[in-house]
Amino acid sequence: MAVRTRYEAAADAEALLDTRLVAIGTWLFLGAEIFFFAAWWFAFFYLRAINNNQGWQGQGVGPPSKGYGAVVVALAVLTAITYFLGSRQASRDLLFRLLTPVALVFGIATSLFQGYEMWHLGFGLTQGGYPAVFSGMTGSWVIQFALATAWLGSVVTQAGPAGDTITRRKPAGSFAWILLFLAAVGIVNYILLYFVA
Amino acid sequence: MVVSERRLSLPNNPITGILLAIPAYFFGVWLGTLFGNIDDQNTGVILGYLFATVAFLAGVGFLNYPLERLFGWRVNPVTDPAENRGIGRYLRLSLDHKVIGLQYLVTILLMLLFGGIGAMLIRTSLLVPDASITPSGNYIPLIGLHSVMMIFITSAVIVGPFGNYLVPLMIGARRMAFPRLEALSFWVVPPAAVILAAATFWGGFPTGWTGYPPLSEQAGQGMDSYIVGFTLIAVALVTSGVNMLATIIGLRAPGMTWTRLPIFVWGIFTTSILGLLAAPVLAAALIMLAMDRSLNTSFFIASNGGSNYLWENLFWFFGHPEVYIFILPAFGIIMEIVPHFARKPLWGYRTGVVGLFGVALLSWFVWQHHLFVSGIAPVLRPFYMLSTELISIPTGIIFLVTLGTLWRARVWFTVPMLFCLGFLFNFLIGGISGVYLSDVPTDVTLHGSYFSMAHFHYTIMGGEIFALMAAAYYWLPKMTGKMLSPTIGRIHFWTMFIAFNSTFFPLFIIGLLNMPRRVSTYDPALVGLNRWVTVSAYVLFGSMVLFAGNLIYSWFFVSRPALANPWHARSLEWQVPTPVPARNFDRVPVIVAGPYDYGIPNARPVADLGGIVGVTGGG
Repeated sequence: MAVRTRYEAAADAEALLDTRLVAIGTWLFLGAEIFFFAAWWFAFFYLRAINNNQGWQGQGVGPPSKGYGAVVVALAVLTAITYFLGSRQASRDLLFRLLTPVALVFGIATSLFQGYEMWHLGFGLTQGGYPAVFSGMTGSWVIQFALATAWLGSVVTQAGPAGDTITRRKPAGSFAWILLFLAAVGIVNYILLYFVA
Repeated sequence: MVVSERRLSLPNNPITGILLAIPAYFFGVWLGTLFGNIDDQNTGVILGYLFATVAFLAGVGFLNYPLERLFGWRVNPVTDPAENRGIGRYLRLSLDHKVIGLQYLVTILLMLLFGGIGAMLIRTSLLVPDASITPSGNYIPLIGLHSVMMIFITSAVIVGPFGNYLVPLMIGARRMAFPRLEALSFWVVPPAAVILAAATFWGGFPTGWTGYPPLSEQAGQGMDSYIVGFTLIAVALVTSGVNMLATIIGLRAPGMTWTRLPIFVWGIFTTSILGLLAAPVLAAALIMLAMDRSLNTSFFIASNGGSNYLWENLFWFFGHPEVYIFILPAFGIIMEIVPHFARKPLWGYRTGVVGLFGVALLSWFVWQHHLFVSGIAPVLRPFYMLSTELISIPTGIIFLVTLGTLWRARVWFTVPMLFCLGFLFNFLIGGISGVYLSDVPTDVTLHGSYFSMAHFHYTIMGGEIFALMAAAYYWLPKMTGKMLSPTIGRIHFWTMFIAFNSTFFPLFIIGLLNMPRRVSTYDPALVGLNRWVTVSAYVLFGSMVLFAGNLIYSWFFVSRPALANPWHARSLEWQVPTPVPARNFDRVPVIVAGPYDYGIPNARPVADLGGIVGVTGGG
């Protein structure tokens, strides 16, 4: 049986408080995120509606492969749902340890697949408003998703024997909402960029 | 198995940060030349700034915690402030909100000095009606640097030092909700200021603080400083907003109900909402601008499917709430300090809170008044004119609350109180002149003139900076443990008050006489007024030097220790000892009464603190 150090006892007490604070902070942060992505969605509709100089979509510009885009979004959704289910089981060590690495694999795959697509768009970034919005909106999303995946990596490593105690894992539950939010943004972006465009 | 805390043992301090930032900058520039456009250096400069910032933050110690977590080590997100004492804590990453508040204060005052020097150079240029002192090519970048530096400062000048230091004390908390985020919100400010100042090496930027395309698309690499610097300030606003709001929502002491919350905390609360939600829009707009400049996308290039109106909408959707980010905490300061020196309860506390929320809410619906002269659809003008005029109602409510508190009061005319009264006078003029500018016909005439410039200086300098001074004289004794000289303080106030009005009131007249802003030459008939303004501006600058002198004199030469509660105030921050203990309160206090129950017979003490110091009653 592990011996609790004085740090651990104090940290566990703080973790109970932090669970609530992190939940509040997460929802606040998501408020900021909504405004961030709303700016991109505004840019999408604004430039599409104005279509200055018939430049929304230049010659030969159109959405990339819908199937490939769907795979990326599906991976993002799987990341979020797997982590969400795992984080609900934070007090059950085995399920938590099982599901979070799976979520991490999905997360890494999402970032890599999206990165690959952005290098092979089939149109140049200079070819009008749509390429600009596509690259900016998708780029902002995938960078945030990759950063979230990196944090997910730390959740996985913290599930090891030298990592967080079960009490201190509780605040990590709120992180699921960030992944779910990013997955939802991925869906909205997909609809806009591949169908509405 | 014994599992102990492990730490990365790196020499984390700003020097390490700078030593890492320099090579990181050149690495970013090199990377930019590999992947960026060959016809400009924008990609390299932007990447260089970003890499340098990340490297600086890593050197200061911000990557330790995530890396330690990633390595699977058991780490505590919050360290005990008692572990990090000594003067050195002010020079490195600290998670103590009191240290961060003072770090903010010194940094912001230094930035204020540079911004003020910029203002003096601008006024010196205007001593003569031609461009003989400062050539036009230098004048515009000077305006840009002064304006953006001042925007950086005024975004953080109250929330940074006073919000961080005081909010936990005022709500009975022993720490902030997210100390690491709080520290991050501070440590991105010095890189932002340095990056902005670095614009001078690239010839500055020609757009002022608004960064309008197509000028910002065509500008040199100085514009990249604007983009990255402003983005870092957006990061600071978001992190600070999350931290402040979570702290106020989640860490209030037992008994600290919403209706007992000090009004200054309400000011921080409302401004944090604005910062949290407005800054991400700015960040998105700046990313678009950076992409246009470095990747040749066309968000704002009309000939290729973009639109400069997209920038104007996004920028002002942030920009107008931003001016309330400046002023809401100032309102909070004024409404906080006045009852203490009027020795009366705050008149209409709840109405004042409604006023703060009214301003915050309406600030989202007014941004297009900045576009009245930019080709806004005529059909939209009446709505934005009306919404802008409406915002004067909650502002007026806040005025009424303050004046109602002063009504028939036996006012204690301390230096902080003098600055509060100065605020009321100045902001009244600033507010009323704003109503003129909200009207389309007047705005079309005056928008590009010095009238507009006088208006916003009356609100920001006459309002926010006067409130800052009130806060400094009121709370610095608690924050530093030293009283400021009241004699020098009074001289400072009167010099600043007279010089401020002597500087900026004539600018209304100059504006009505059609002198355009942002132009270094003007009608020789206006030379007399301009020289008057310039000389007044020098005196105004001198009054700020007097303030700095007061700080140095009081801290280092006289060193009069501050009592725990020199103003005999009721609010909670004054009930703890000076200097404030590392963990603020020996135990979490229980709040039993409101902070403004002055003059109420048998008023209860504000809190049960476990008897660490005496608690001021209602007398």
